[in-house]
Amino acid sequence: MNRPEPLTITEESTVSKEEIISEIMQDYGDDTLHLVFTYVKNLATAEDLTQEIFIKCYEKLEQFNHQSSIKTWLYRIASNHCKDYLRSWQYRKIVLNEKIGNETPSNSKQVEEEVIANKQEKSLSYAVMSLPVKYREVVVLHYYEEMTLTEISSVTKVNVNTLKTRLKRAKELLKNKMKKEV
Amino acid sequence: MNEPMKNLRSEMKKTVFKGVSFSDERKSAVLETIRKKQSHTTIWKEDTILAVLESIRYQSKHGYDISTDLYRKREISFHKREGELYTLLHTLEAQDLIRSNWIDEKKYYLIHKKGLKYLASCEQGEYRKSVELSHTVEEARW
Repeated sequence: MNRPEPLTITEESTVSKEEIISEIMQDYGDDTLHLVFTYVKNLATAEDLTQEIFIKCYEKLEQFNHQSSIKTWLYRIASNHCKDYLRSWQYRKIVLNEKIGNETPSNSKQVEEEVIANKQEKSLSYAVMSLPVKYREVVVLHYYEEMTLTEISSVTKVNVNTLKTRLKRAKELLKNKMKKEV
Repeated sequence: MNEPMKNLRSEMKKTVFKGVSFSDERKSAVLETIRKKQSHTTIWKEDTILAVLESIRYQSKHGYDISTDLYRKREISFHKREGELYTLLHTLEAQDLIRSNWIDEKKYYLIHKKGLKYLASCEQGEYRKSVELSHTVEEARW
């Protein structure tokens, strides 16, 4: 008599998938959190979002095609997740509330306020943090996360030439900011 | 402008990102969530599968009938979590061991060829190896 086919459709790779995520978090946890922080400028939010990003990675691990590096792939997920958040109603509501109730110190303004408080106006870091998001993004990815423009292009899906222009413009803006403050 | 930019990484680490680190607690929280997602894959005991198949061997039954049948046989795997019986039924159906049809707004299940084969081979003790069945029904994410 024929043996029935074994009835297994368990995901054999579940354990190793968990290990992979654990390793990615070990290697890129801090850098990812820093990247996320530059988008949302609030530590608690950045930590929550980073957590969600790694869970997303777990869910999408099968889709990673090894054509890009794991770092590029991870940052693409991270950058998209942050932009989704910045576009979300939840975030806009916070910003709106801050505009209305201006007397209470706001979370997203926290960075700028710290700048004044600590008299660190001259610091380049804070100047970078105060750039509009599309310039901030390219500066952080290029100079902080040390990615090439081609890599940034695959993270943000923005044309390399456009990125070059943005980087140039960003540096001009920074130069002006620094000059004003000196 | 290029010179100061080169030091941006170390400068940001000292200022904006000072003490900003993805903590071990946060990492564990991620792994905990992942594990919870994995445990959606339930592994049923072979005896439970056999009891269900036997219950619908000669006549089709709906879920509640199967459930009482199992209870009578002292198969209590689904005790207090009766809903999981339906998950198992769906899995068995997806794997073509059983068939179902709707009569008067109730779904009746009946064993199918592949299920009979499976049952027969188990009875002959040829296929006593533990069998894992996992369901592919993913819970809707909020």
